[in-house]
Amino acid sequence: MKHAAASALLLAALLLGGTARAAPMGFKDSWMAMGDFGPNWREAWVNHAFTARDAVGGGGLYMRSDDKQTTREIAELTYTRLVARWNLPHAQANVWFVGGLGGIRGNDFDGTRTLWAPGVQLDYETTRVYVAAFARLYRADGINHDYGALRAGFSFYEAEYEETQPWFIVEARRMRGLSEQVEITPMLRLINKGYFVEAGFNTDKQVRFNFMHIF
Amino acid sequence: MRTALILAAGLLASAGAQAATTKLTVNGMVCAFCAQGIEKRLGAMPETQAVYVNLGDKIVAVEAKPGQSHDVEKVRAEVKDAGYDVIKVEMVEQSVETLRAAAKAKK
Repeated sequence: MKHAAASALLLAALLLGGTARAAPMGFKDSWMAMGDFGPNWREAWVNHAFTARDAVGGGGLYMRSDDKQTTREIAELTYTRLVARWNLPHAQANVWFVGGLGGIRGNDFDGTRTLWAPGVQLDYETTRVYVAAFARLYRADGINHDYGALRAGFSFYEAEYEETQPWFIVEARRMRGLSEQVEITPMLRLINKGYFVEAGFNTDKQVRFNFMHIF
Repeated sequence: MRTALILAAGLLASAGAQAATTKLTVNGMVCAFCAQGIEKRLGAMPETQAVYVNLGDKIVAVEAKPGQSHDVEKVRAEVKDAGYDVIKVEMVEQSVETLRAAAKAKK
């Protein structure tokens, strides 16, 4: 019963769904949903911006080691804070904090352990260039996973606000303690107002698909 | 006399068709995915007829419904709540469609 409840919570979190991609929250009073799917990493979350700088939400994450032997399942409640923003004439830079509190399960230990997971994202973007760095610590009794990701890319051309804008993005990421290999994924990103999708193949030829939607 | 009346009627119709548009220059507006908050928030104001966002020129224009006008401070606050900084506000008579067409013609 306890297992079923935990599974239901995880499933709900996966359906509802926090890591950071572009901006990890929307504008005041909006909801944002995000998903990141690949064989070794599946994540989804949703959050609600209750101020222009604060959002709360829930999310779920499934991770698997490169050798497919070790898995982690996380369900968490998240708080996202826009710590600082620089609105420049032709660019924007941000510092974000993401904090998570929830539970973690694994196939190499019994039960669910309490998890806390603080993270920071730094990003800089113009209409043609995007760079971001994200770091997050996943901490539970006996578990120390450190996640780090770097993203950089460019848009093929400047697009009107109403048009779809294609980008080329490369991400390098690693989850220390679970994967000792840096996953590098070149992706095509398409942005059309409230829709944001990315798709690509990592260097192990595994497919990757991300989406974000603000509503 | 008839010509003068037609001319006067034309001038009145033309004056009535003038739009009350608040045109803002906004810093930080580089991404359509993020800037849509501006469009949604301004579009939700009851007096709004149309909204125009131009990322390249950093312009946001919000046109009021006929006979109505926007409170500039409320417009400024909505853009701030969407996460951006307003650095200039102008009241213009062009409609959003006219501004959009002018921007396209400029390209």
